[in-house]
Amino acid sequence: MSTFAPAQPVTSRLTRTWSGRRRWPLVSAVGATVAAALVLLPLAFLVIQAQQSGWGEVERLLLRHTVVVLLWNTVRLTLACTVLCAVLGVGAAWCVERTALPLRRLWAVALVLPLGIPDFVVGFGWVSLEPGLHGYLAAVMIMTLSLYPLVYLPTRIALASVDAGLEEAARSLGLSSWQTFWRVTLRQVRPAVVGGCLLVTLGLLAEYGAFEIVQYQTFTVAIFTEFKLGFDAVGACALSLVLVLVSAAVLGGERALAGRGRAWRSGSGVRRIAPRVSLGGWAAPVLAGLTALSGLALGVPIGSLVYWMLRGSSSTLPSSSILAAVGHTAEFSAAAAAVSTALAVPVTALAMRHRNRVTLLIERLAYLPMALPGLVIALGLVSFSVRYALALYQSSLELIVAYSILFLPLAVVGVRSAMGQASPRLEEVGRSLGCRPAAVWRRVTLPLIAPGLGAAFALVFISSATELTATLLLRPTGVNTLATQFWSYTTDFSYGAAAPYAALMVAISAVPAYLLSRRMSTLARMRPET
Amino acid sequence: MSRLSVRDLWKGYGKRAVLQGVNLEVQPGSLTAVLGLSGCGKTTLLRVIAGFERAERGSVSLARRVLEDAHTFLPAEQRGVGYVPQEGALFPHLTVEANVGFGLSRRERRGHAVDELLEMVGIAPLARSLPNELSGGEQQRVALARALARRPHALLLDEPFSSLDASLRTRVREEVHSLLSAQGVTTVLVTHDQEEALSLADDVAVLRDGVIVQQGAPADLYERPTDERLARFLGAVNLIDADFKDGTARTPLGALALRVEQGAVGYGAGVVMVRPEQLDVRPRTEGADGLRAGLGGRVEQCRYYGHDALLHIRTEQPNGGEVLLARVHGEQALPVGTPVTIAARGPVTPLH
Amino acid sequence: MSRGKPPILSPLLVCAGLLLSACGGAARGGPALTVYSGQHEQTTALLVAAFEKQSGIAVSVRSGDEATLGNQILQEGESSPADVFYTENTPVLEALAKRGLLAEVSASTLASVRRSDSSAQRDWVGVSARVSALVYDPSQLASTQLPASILELAEPRWKGKLGFAPSETDFQPLLSAIVKLDGTATAERWLRGLQSNGRIYPDNEAVVNQVNNGESAAGPINSYYWYRLRDETGSRGTHSALHYYAPGDPGDLVDVSGAAVLRASSHKAAAQAFLAFLISRTGQETIAHSHSYEYPLRPGVSPAAGLPALSALRPAALTPAQLGDGGAALALEQKLGLL
Repeated sequence: MSTFAPAQPVTSRLTRTWSGRRRWPLVSAVGATVAAALVLLPLAFLVIQAQQSGWGEVERLLLRHTVVVLLWNTVRLTLACTVLCAVLGVGAAWCVERTALPLRRLWAVALVLPLGIPDFVVGFGWVSLEPGLHGYLAAVMIMTLSLYPLVYLPTRIALASVDAGLEEAARSLGLSSWQTFWRVTLRQVRPAVVGGCLLVTLGLLAEYGAFEIVQYQTFTVAIFTEFKLGFDAVGACALSLVLVLVSAAVLGGERALAGRGRAWRSGSGVRRIAPRVSLGGWAAPVLAGLTALSGLALGVPIGSLVYWMLRGSSSTLPSSSILAAVGHTAEFSAAAAAVSTALAVPVTALAMRHRNRVTLLIERLAYLPMALPGLVIALGLVSFSVRYALALYQSSLELIVAYSILFLPLAVVGVRSAMGQASPRLEEVGRSLGCRPAAVWRRVTLPLIAPGLGAAFALVFISSATELTATLLLRPTGVNTLATQFWSYTTDFSYGAAAPYAALMVAISAVPAYLLSRRMSTLARMRPET
Repeated sequence: MSRLSVRDLWKGYGKRAVLQGVNLEVQPGSLTAVLGLSGCGKTTLLRVIAGFERAERGSVSLARRVLEDAHTFLPAEQRGVGYVPQEGALFPHLTVEANVGFGLSRRERRGHAVDELLEMVGIAPLARSLPNELSGGEQQRVALARALARRPHALLLDEPFSSLDASLRTRVREEVHSLLSAQGVTTVLVTHDQEEALSLADDVAVLRDGVIVQQGAPADLYERPTDERLARFLGAVNLIDADFKDGTARTPLGALALRVEQGAVGYGAGVVMVRPEQLDVRPRTEGADGLRAGLGGRVEQCRYYGHDALLHIRTEQPNGGEVLLARVHGEQALPVGTPVTIAARGPVTPLH
Repeated sequence: MSRGKPPILSPLLVCAGLLLSACGGAARGGPALTVYSGQHEQTTALLVAAFEKQSGIAVSVRSGDEATLGNQILQEGESSPADVFYTENTPVLEALAKRGLLAEVSASTLASVRRSDSSAQRDWVGVSARVSALVYDPSQLASTQLPASILELAEPRWKGKLGFAPSETDFQPLLSAIVKLDGTATAERWLRGLQSNGRIYPDNEAVVNQVNNGESAAGPINSYYWYRLRDETGSRGTHSALHYYAPGDPGDLVDVSGAAVLRASSHKAAAQAFLAFLISRTGQETIAHSHSYEYPLRPGVSPAAGLPALSALRPAALTPAQLGDGGAALALEQKLGLL
């Protein structure tokens, strides 16, 4: 070893070396731990509460005929909606991203917007339009119309970043364009599609809106009954644990479906951009389909809002308090979107880059809030904060934390859809060009996953802006958001006064949807900015 | 000018050992090719040298500086090692000039450095293009310029030409070679293409089963491989039974001179390696006495490449004959079925 | 090389700023009285404004669904920031009282309303009342077809005509009343009848809306829902009418809205003052004139114009205390799979 040149200050380098090398994983680990802790909080609440009830009580609650019926209702609603959302979401995403669709920009935004219409507004619209709408099929239709954007958005991002080279290769191997879509394109975007479907499935397990809108009773109804009529948090939490178990099964199944394949492209640098397909004779039917979809998902609720604004006797010019409500809604939602997105990045990055049991478990856990009724999560936060963080109780910060937990799953799906773009090879090249990990992260990774971050931000923002349950429980006393104002007017039959608040919720949601759409066309396709 | 030394490098993934004690010396300013089949650990070796992965054992030093040993691990950004991965790995969100200037300081980027680099690799007009607007060859050049921008002590090229089509490959290869010679940067090039390794490198090291089995000048390796596998890996060979005696090998093709020193090969039976281009093939007319000139045979197959041709010739021997490969000038390509006489030009290399 | 900074950073920075400002806003204000209110927000706002003006005590109101607020108080326990809980119905107050979360209401306040309209244990005071009735569509039902008793709704002739909201907090007291007056067996038979006759709606707002739309011919509700809908849609949009059952029928139930002081309140004096104000003449008149169409409970204060006098209806002789927290009704509904 004496032939080795004396390495200059080895010891002093040593310390720097190790800290420098571990820096990013440490940040990730901390972020992921925080995310996991936040998600486990409501779960801990459930377990602690449920423990207080004896097994006999749980048995009495669970082994009722009603529960079996409700569970079956939940399952069949979930299955049908998930399949329909997958078809609609992927179809719409493909049309917007891969075809020369007329008014593409407009569709791109309009197709996301149903997310920005809260359940209670949708219900309001449908009940005004067709009072006789009840039962299973109605529930399937309405839930599909409001949830398909959860598949559409991540799929679109993934489609935008797919390497067309693979599709061309498939065509050259003699596959028809349909076969190519099925066997190549869909394979590539599968993690995004499955991620979106996962959100739909989990969301439906905890769905209460279907009940409110079309009186279709799902398992959540049993939970709400315990809470609202029995004032029995213990029983409600015991029932909620059933949801946790079901979602654990779903999450396990999803891993098998999404496959173990890495999402990033095989090549390390440049990908071919797919040319847009001309729709030709299909233009008319496609446009008709998209119009029908948007008309049902957006037109019905918005139409009824307009109707009530014009017709309702309580219609007044919105007062100055509406501005305050807009401000609060935007502020809370933006902050929650930032927090959720920031937490989703380390969760996703660790699960994709440092795959092991712990990181995968954390990623799975991050989906759990989707499957719990908002009321359970909010009450969990109430219970936790009055005991351990009273100063934070009913502060803006707590509300933001609540939103961040509730919608972390949306952020994870958004980030996951783009994380594959940031190939570790590119980061390594960045390092070899003399950049420290933090600088590589800022200059390479961040711009590459920006579309995903944008999607995550938009999804969380839109959902937070329409959230009601946690808002009612956790907002600072005296502070109103658009959702709480809308709710308080509608419970008072003041539909005319309520309508502008709902309209503003939709408008506010359109902003991130629009910005995201613009960002996608500039960044995801990596075309020069003008 | 910086010497790169790799000593006894071990690295595995899980239970699979990939590098099993690699030793590699790269002379300052030289281009050394690491040649191996895919999956032999070439890329892993580069990644360890670049600092993307840490070896389990062994050391890497560059320019009298320890990059990595049992006590030290310099992170990639402090190594001064440029890396050009397969297909270039250009940052897709940055223009060509931003890619090239990536490793430079803000001040350097504002100066002429980037322009000069682009000029040097001949893609100045594309400065403001995005990577997806470039051809494969252009992308490689950008990747090279980007890696050279920081004046690295060593440059690592991972199969840089494999994604290019054949005609482009030769040209880009030549350009890169002349560029690197001009820059005088110590370079390690990893490839599975023995022609590329032999033609470009000053030194070739063959990586097999996680160890460097032989390292030397291209001609050395080609002419004196240490075993049969290596001989075959570097190019087509004919293995011919021989009796060794007095520094010559007695073969069906006649007595051939041996490359090794007298004492190195003892007496007795063995095998010699005869490269196809060492065989002289002449057409013989039926009935003429060809035996004096060498072994008789018949052309079974002829692969024509333009500049040369590869003939498969079945020898006329009592046991049904065997197939010998002979490389001849293009204009000497012979139709299938032509009876020929084969002779060999020494010296040849004995194999074990 | 102009595109150094990724554009995503700026929104993130803005959000970080928002987050910091949100932390700043976390500090709680002075010793204001905090009221959790499940009552109609507009009525509550009028009451609070009048109380603040009269007493000089600042009040902050937290409005929400009363069941949710009740659960929230249960979780908050001793740490609840609420001083007063003001609700539309009494079962939630009974549930909190049972867990010892309510303080005794001062005697003078309780004395201002009939004893039977408040908690027997003095845990809460009755503030206003609503009376249940039947909303019906006159184009589908002639006045001769209207029932004298709510129990008739279980008869086969009502098949396909009814709409009702079994999960509504107003429904349980009705069922409780039947249990109390006619026994559990009758109540169960009645509920089964209703189940086979009627269409299920999520809440009374939906019941009154759908009867008004003609989807259902009739539905049991509290009368004020109909008046409020009439206010919103105007007389041209009103295609329904109200019917009251015969005097003394369990269907003529009075639902009491109550208020209580939290045992954990740190502003008990102010909280008691607020309760006293609610049943004061000023408070009661505010309620009567607030378009909430509820009956003030203080003797001598008349309800909104157009409402039949409570005494004229001669409702069933049941006190809220007798109705309790609705546990029996809940068990029955669960048994029949309505919940």
